[in-house]
Order: sequence, then C-alpha cells, then structure tokens
Amino acid sequence: MNAVSASTSRIPPELDPQTWLALPLPDARAVAAALATEEPDETTFVTLARAEPARWLEVLAQRAQALTRRQFGRTIQLYAPLYLSNYCSGGCAYCGFAADRSQVRHRLEPDEIARELAALKELGFEQVLLLTGEHTPHADFVYLREGVRAAARLFHEVTVEAFPMAADEYRALAEAGCTGVTIYQETYDPEAYERFHRWGPKRDYAARLEAPSRALAGGVASVGLGALLGLADPLADALALFRHVRALQQRFWRAAFSVSFPRLRPEAGGFQAPYPVSDRWLAQLIFAFRICLPETTLVLSTREAPAFRDGLAGVGVNRMSAGSRTTVGGYDGHAEDEGQFAVSDGRDVTAFCAMLRGRGLDPVFKNWDAAYRSVLPPPGEVSA
Amino acid sequence: MNHENDTLVLGDRAYTSRLLLGTGKFADADVMARAVAASGAQIVTVALRRFDRDRPNDALLAPLLAMDDVTLMPNTSGARNAEEAIQAARIARELCGSRLVKVEIHPNPRHLMPDAIETYEAARVLAADGWLVMPYIPPDPVLAKRLEEAGCVSVMPLGAAIGSGQGLASAELLKIILREATIPVIVDAGLRAPSQAAAALEMGCDAVLVNTAVADAGDPPAMAAAFAQAVAAGRSARRAGLMPVGTDAQASSPLTAFLQGGERA
Repeated sequence: MNAVSASTSRIPPELDPQTWLALPLPDARAVAAALATEEPDETTFVTLARAEPARWLEVLAQRAQALTRRQFGRTIQLYAPLYLSNYCSGGCAYCGFAADRSQVRHRLEPDEIARELAALKELGFEQVLLLTGEHTPHADFVYLREGVRAAARLFHEVTVEAFPMAADEYRALAEAGCTGVTIYQETYDPEAYERFHRWGPKRDYAARLEAPSRALAGGVASVGLGALLGLADPLADALALFRHVRALQQRFWRAAFSVSFPRLRPEAGGFQAPYPVSDRWLAQLIFAFRICLPETTLVLSTREAPAFRDGLAGVGVNRMSAGSRTTVGGYDGHAEDEGQFAVSDGRDVTAFCAMLRGRGLDPVFKNWDAAYRSVLPPPGEVSA
Repeated sequence: MNHENDTLVLGDRAYTSRLLLGTGKFADADVMARAVAASGAQIVTVALRRFDRDRPNDALLAPLLAMDDVTLMPNTSGARNAEEAIQAARIARELCGSRLVKVEIHPNPRHLMPDAIETYEAARVLAADGWLVMPYIPPDPVLAKRLEEAGCVSVMPLGAAIGSGQGLASAELLKIILREATIPVIVDAGLRAPSQAAAALEMGCDAVLVNTAVADAGDPPAMAAAFAQAVAAGRSARRAGLMPVGTDAQASSPLTAFLQGGERA
C-alpha cells in the first residue's frame, strides 16, 4: 500500500497511517503495554490490531466487553435502515446499486415512504436510517429532506446515509429533523479510492472526506464513519478511520460519533474484494476500536451473519440493526428488486431481541425523545 | 445508632435511606427492580429519554411504579443544553409522580462531564417553576453555592467521571463543598465499591447515588445490598464522631521544653 501515488488526491497528514504501519510486529511486551496504557493512541491501536490472535484475541475480547459495559451498560441500541431510492449516479465498482448495473430502479413516493415508516414503527423501532444512492435528479437533496421530515414526525432519531452535501444543506436537514449523518469514506487510500469509484461526483475523495465536518458544522448532532473493509489494506484503512474519528472528536466536542464495520460481501456484478477480511480479523479490529475509543458507539449491521453478530453484541459492539431490508420498499411487502447487498442475518426483530435477552443484553429502541430536542442544536465546534 | 430520626430532607420530603440508585445499564427490568428492592433506596432516578410517553407503563417504569416506598426522580441525561433539559422535564411532568428532578446536562457524549453553565440555567428555571431540583455538577464549591441560592434542594457533585469507578477522586473539592453547603450534598457518579460510598458518608456527604457499580456487578441485587450496608455504616460512623487524624506521639525532647521553666526575673 502506498499513499503517495499518481492519484490527484492525497490523504491529509493528520489521517495518514503510514508512520504506524511501519512499526515492527508487536511482541508480547508491546501488547501488554498497549493494554495497560491509559492514553490509547495510534501505536496502541496498531499494536492491538496486530497482536498475535492465538495469544491475545480472547484477552482483547474480554477487555472490549468490560469497556462496552462500563460505557453503555448491558444494552444494545437498535435501528432499522430504510432504502428510499436505488437510483444512483455512482460508479462504485463493488456496489449492487452502481449506475451501470442492470438493476430495477425505483424510488419511494411520499405515500410509500409513509407506509414503510409506519411498518417500521409498528415493529417497535424509534431510530431509523434513511438511505439513497449518490445524488441523482430522482433522489436529490429536496427529496431526501422531505423523507427526513416524514420520518421525524414518527421517529425520535432520524439518520441519513446518502451523498456528500454542502454545510447549508446539512443545516436544512438538521432543521427538518435529521439527527445524524452516516458517510463512509469507503477507503482512505486515495489510489484505491480512485480505482473503485469509476466516475461521477463520488470520485471526489476530498469532498467525501470533508462531509462529516460539514454535517457537524451544519448542526447535525451525530456522525457515523466507516471504511468498506476489503477495498484496500484493512489495517491502513482502520488506522486512518481511527485517526479521522479522533480528529473530529477533538474539533466537534459536543457531537456524538459512531463507527461502523461494513465488510465487502459478494454483490451483484461479482466484485471480488482485493483484501478479504476474515471473521477473526474483523473481530480483532472491532476490539481494537473499542479499547482505543472506549466511549464511541460501534455499529454492526445485518451484512454480517447471525453467529458473528451474536458473538460481538455487547463485546465491543453497542448498536445494531435488526430485521433489515436492503431493498427499496422492503418493509411493507411490496419490493421486488434486488437489495444493495445480501442480508446475512435474516432474523426478524422479535427473534433478534430474544437472542440479545438470552445473552443478558437489553434491547433499547428509544434513547431520546424528539419532543425534548431544541430546534437548533448548538454547532459546538472549536475553531482551529 | 437510631436512624429513624436521621433523615435526608429534600424539599418537603424526608427519607431514611441515603442511597439513591440509577436504573440504566441493567440487563433487564427484572434485575433492575430486584436491585432497587435490595438497595432499600427510596429515590431512584430514571432517564426521561427512556420514557415511552405513548406507553407509560412500559417494562422499565411498571416495576418501579409498583414499589410503595420508592420515589421516581426523572433525570435529563441526554440533554445537550438547558433548553432541552427544561423541555424534557416539562413534557414528562405527568409521568414523574413527584416534583423531584435531577438536572443532568452533559454535552460531550464521551466523558459525560456536566456542563456547569447550562446546568445552572436549567436548574434556575426549573426551581422557579416549582421543581425540587437536584443538579448533577462538577465538584465546584462556588457553583454549588450558586445553585443553592437558585433554590435547588440539593447538589450532586461527581466523585469521578460517570461509569469510571474511580471513587472519590474529587475528595478535596467535595470537602470544601461540604464545609459551605446548607443543602444536602449527594455524591453522584464514579463510585465503584461500597467502601467508597462509606467513605463519602464518613466525610460528611448526605447521600450517594450509584448506578454502574450495581448494574455492572456480577450479582447486581447483592451489590445493591452491600452498598446499602456501607452507606448505613458510613453514616453511623459520621454521627458517632471519628477520631481525629494525625495525633502525633509526644517527642521525648519536646521543642517547647524551654517554655516549661519559670520566667526569669
């Protein structure tokens, strides 16, 4: 992996992982020191992420569980994704919704959105994630804002995973009731980024990288970050992601942050991940994140299989989706198209909650009440 | 020691228990309810953010409402500013069943440190509204007096960061607060072990509030009972009067020997 490339984009120095990737593989003393430190930093992260699993994985898991309990208790926050539209201008080589896929295109109209939201509410959800593809005339800012408005009438927390926007657009979304923005950089490696994002506005690495800052400056209360593991060296991406979260946490001290761990799965189009990430390694990365960011929400979606999700619930991970449909209009029983990715955990909400309770974890649907929220949250940014 | 006449007075109510319990972070409502019962706590705090206003008798509240001797004190955790805290208390007023409210405003979701400025503002407004306000605050003696002047019925300075289990890290500042306060001082947050709760009561604190230490224990109800015993012991010790610290042995050659003889003429 090499951050210096023919690419027109560069990773900013404050996110560049190279210094720590060059460290030698950690010996037992280094891992013990990393586990003992009260000030986890990049060296701690890379040390734990590369600790010899046969010796350390269980130790990391135990620590991750203790830290998760201390910060979040024996609880798991639950949310549901709602795909509003699968129109997309993007050329992401790995995505089932990419513009050149022979996918049936569809977007939910206002009455359909209302039905989907009602179906989710009926299942008990109070937190909903609205998704679209990259910006298109079919699913643009105004369309998304109206979706947020509709969702905010029913749900206490409405997050959005769509396309990078300008700060004033994020502010308008916040005013419409959007409480969080999720935007994954996919990969922090500029060269790989350019290779897999073949055309369209998503080719702009820097515009995507800066989107979380614009959202927070616009008054959105929380931001979700992530890397699509498997596109480039996963350790480099994980470390850059760790640095990204830390940098934003210092700058936006009032904001809430979450980190997700999407892993490349077989999609429509038969894309093969150049750097496949095993279960074992993904678990180790999640433990490293929990130990180095003990107070940050860690998310695991239904991309992952039941056994893997069950094992990580409360052991690092404190927020999960359940009963998810990744098709446009999946909850009201009318969807016919293919999803963005195959759901690995097909259990319904009841079954998933029963699993959590069986593991001594309390499923939490509601964590704030929209009626209490001030209209304009303070931006809470410390100017550099 | 007779605890019957030794009560914790908050506004117009008197309580014999000096242990307050938080209800978050438990694996389920049943364990939580058993811990509350074992603790003997008469005041338990419940996050307004978890209230289901459409179904007020949900799994969280129902077992607490069924307990005769338990007063529910809603808290505003999750509020990022005074406006949200005030709004939350006012909207949920009908669910509370008491006028007690714990004002808890921590804008940074990572360390959960209370925002003194927003907390003061919310406490001032809610106290004027007729609430019995119990603000969760940093261990700041001046802020504590300002809140007392604003009409709060107690102050709840932190022992250490929420969930940290670091105990009475703020002990020296708590002592100044205790010296000055004329309203009950309740240590909230940071306690891990019953011995730390006992130490807080011995020091002169009027009560303690614990949550993570019980919820994250191997056996939460048993730990709640242990905290109850420690709080009672610490209070008894305080009332019994602890021996003074640092009574030095008499030196064999006292430095003041030269003063013992008669004055010279």
